[in-house]
Amino acid sequence: MSEPGRTTPAGTAPPTRPGPGPYRGPNGTEFILRAHDVYKTYRMGRVDVPVLKGASIEVKAGEWIAVLGASGCGKSTLLHLMGDLDQPDPGKGEIYFEEKPVNQQSRSERNFYRNRTVGFVFQFYHLLPELNVMENTFIPALVGLTRFSYYARRSEIHRRAQELLTSFGLGDRLKHRPQELSGGERQRVAIARALMNQPRVLLADEPTGNLDENTGGEILELLAEQHRAGLTIVMVTHDRSIADRADRVVELHHGRVVDPA
Amino acid sequence: MYHVVLTNRYLTSRVIPLIAVGAVALCAALVMIVVSVMSGFLDMVRDSGRTLMGDVVIELPTRGIPYYEDLIERIEALDEARAASPMVDSFGLLRMPYPPGDSKQSEFVQFWAVEPESFARVTGFAETVHWRELDDRERRTVPEWDIRRQLTPRVLRDGLALHDSRTDRPGIVLGMHVAETNQRMPEGGYHPMGDGYWWMPGFDVTLVTIPLRDVGGQIEPESFIFPVVNEFVSGVFQIDDVRVKIPLEIGQRMLHMDEAELVDPDDPFRVIGVDPARVTKILIRAEDGISPDELRDRVTVLYDAWVEEYAARDDLLVLPSARGFGLNIRTWEQVQARFIGPVEKERDLMRILFSIVYVVCAALVLTIFWAIVHEKTRDIGILRSVGCSRIGISLIFLRYGLVIGVLGSVVGLILAFLIVRNVNTIHDAIGRDAPVWSWVTAFGFAAVSLLMTILAVKRERMLPIVLWSLGTIGMLGLGLILVLHRGTLVWDPTVYYFDAIPNTLDVPNAIVTMIGAIVFSVLGAFIPAAKAADTDPVEALRYE
Repeated sequence: MSEPGRTTPAGTAPPTRPGPGPYRGPNGTEFILRAHDVYKTYRMGRVDVPVLKGASIEVKAGEWIAVLGASGCGKSTLLHLMGDLDQPDPGKGEIYFEEKPVNQQSRSERNFYRNRTVGFVFQFYHLLPELNVMENTFIPALVGLTRFSYYARRSEIHRRAQELLTSFGLGDRLKHRPQELSGGERQRVAIARALMNQPRVLLADEPTGNLDENTGGEILELLAEQHRAGLTIVMVTHDRSIADRADRVVELHHGRVVDPA
Repeated sequence: MYHVVLTNRYLTSRVIPLIAVGAVALCAALVMIVVSVMSGFLDMVRDSGRTLMGDVVIELPTRGIPYYEDLIERIEALDEARAASPMVDSFGLLRMPYPPGDSKQSEFVQFWAVEPESFARVTGFAETVHWRELDDRERRTVPEWDIRRQLTPRVLRDGLALHDSRTDRPGIVLGMHVAETNQRMPEGGYHPMGDGYWWMPGFDVTLVTIPLRDVGGQIEPESFIFPVVNEFVSGVFQIDDVRVKIPLEIGQRMLHMDEAELVDPDDPFRVIGVDPARVTKILIRAEDGISPDELRDRVTVLYDAWVEEYAARDDLLVLPSARGFGLNIRTWEQVQARFIGPVEKERDLMRILFSIVYVVCAALVLTIFWAIVHEKTRDIGILRSVGCSRIGISLIFLRYGLVIGVLGSVVGLILAFLIVRNVNTIHDAIGRDAPVWSWVTAFGFAAVSLLMTILAVKRERMLPIVLWSLGTIGMLGLGLILVLHRGTLVWDPTVYYFDAIPNTLDVPNAIVTMIGAIVFSVLGAFIPAAKAADTDPVEALRYE
């Protein structure tokens, strides 16, 4: 499914953009999200452990890209950086969304970015145990709303959450707590939550890593449906067969992205 | 808006906030109860002072104030004064009618000889007279054994007039605790021993006193037999224990302060003048809206003018000025100062000491919230991943602290109100042996707990074994304590001045305490909230 030639090969200098206008890669491709030459080092006790060493990746609008790599190679770190959950080492790399440097934006703009522009799906679902399925799904829609604006948009928010959950086969589980659901159901709720605010990009971190093969297949099918509907997806996985469901696969080796193509 | 949803969910779906609410409630209730009792105590001291002696007192012990009728008339003409009343006071022995037989018991008493009518206008005497006919409403609530059910209006009338209308003799009104035969009932009433036989009104008592010469030395003891016409309850134990009231003219006669002819020392048959009647105190009541201090200042000026006028009229009359030796013109607060001052200081000290409880409250909330934030670390990561701001995350926990503070302080207020309101009932219950039903119930629960422990052992479940074992030990211990409990007198009226514990909640203090509890709860949540805001979302998501 990969489309050779659409990305900048890892480790090479990014194409420069002479002036305003959409960013285009070497072949004139338009990218929505890209990481440019990012470094990330974690401190483990007294030792600095470099995880990303100049990783670069470009994601085209509407593309489903899989980042493949062994456990601990920095796949999740790259995803966290792209979703602004974490930041590159100071002065060492940048994340661009539609050519705006995400890390240089104000705090409120970055919160907005995480809330509206990207949606996260995690391996361990990460649902809030005190909230039911419905509330877990619409919680991103409540961010930034006052009590009054919530009541003004309440029915719209509830309808959107209900539609999503029903389309994911959870219409009869709305009032259930996460601990009352199976792993596959929990991941569907997590996907519904990620899609609640209609993000431009879905960032999925090993979305099937905690599921059996059949359930994992169902979740991938769900992602594929969203992709067919136009959603851009960045998925990290260590499983080649899962990565192959994506349009394009890049690999992460020694902290750098390598495009096998 | 997500703060509201999450705060509500965190509050309603976990036990830990209930523990925090309970901790805040107990802290707040503790402060409210202690300060309420202390404030109530102070208020009772103040009220009793005013009830017992009016607003301002002119005192000239031993020598007494002559021509007091004129002075009183002038005082009552003041705009600031509503009424004034003369009295003489001294100490004596009261021969009681008990025990049966010839040898009777004597009680040491302080007698106040008063003019009943003006005395009632100046002080709260009329309200303190205890034995009176019950009205219809009281008749429904007062227990069957209460002797007041058999009384006629005469008893009150005679008590207020200090006069026995049946025998047409001057009467005496005793403080309720002067006679040992009056037993205070748990319900608050009094019941004379011998199933009502030793009800003092109806018995005669003999008052013996030693009058003093104003130049020093004593005169022959004087005695007078009075019929007891009533008894009074001021609520101040030290007063009800020693004070009796008799008519002014009898007191003056016994202390040789009544009007007498002055005779020539060389010729006892030659009358050279009249020694006017004297009183040792004049009690004055202020008009509404006039402070005791204002009245005292006004009376001081008036008294000095009055002394000047009389000194000019009679060379032999020696009266001290308002600031002269032996004469005092004081407000009731000044009279009681030696008692009010320490109580005020004690209350302030209590307030400061118990303010430490606020800090304990903040520390408790901080500890609990620290645990909550620690437990919710992953949730914080999730919320950050969906775009929640740091401030928004910290607001969840601050809001949490606020709700716990508000709920805790409201529960504390209710708890404090219930305890303060029923403090005398609780005290009386502690003062009695535990009722049989209480320890039977405790042992019953212990038996059930033991049964559950055995069942848990059979099922090999560790937590139920521990919990039910603790329940069994706890209930057994409680049952044993109740069986062994013997009535303990905590509030001894001879020590604590009043015969009942103040039972009114100090509302301003309660409001301050509630605000304090809320502020300290929020402060306690502040540090964990800041910690939550600073939590690295990636680390938080890794947290398991």
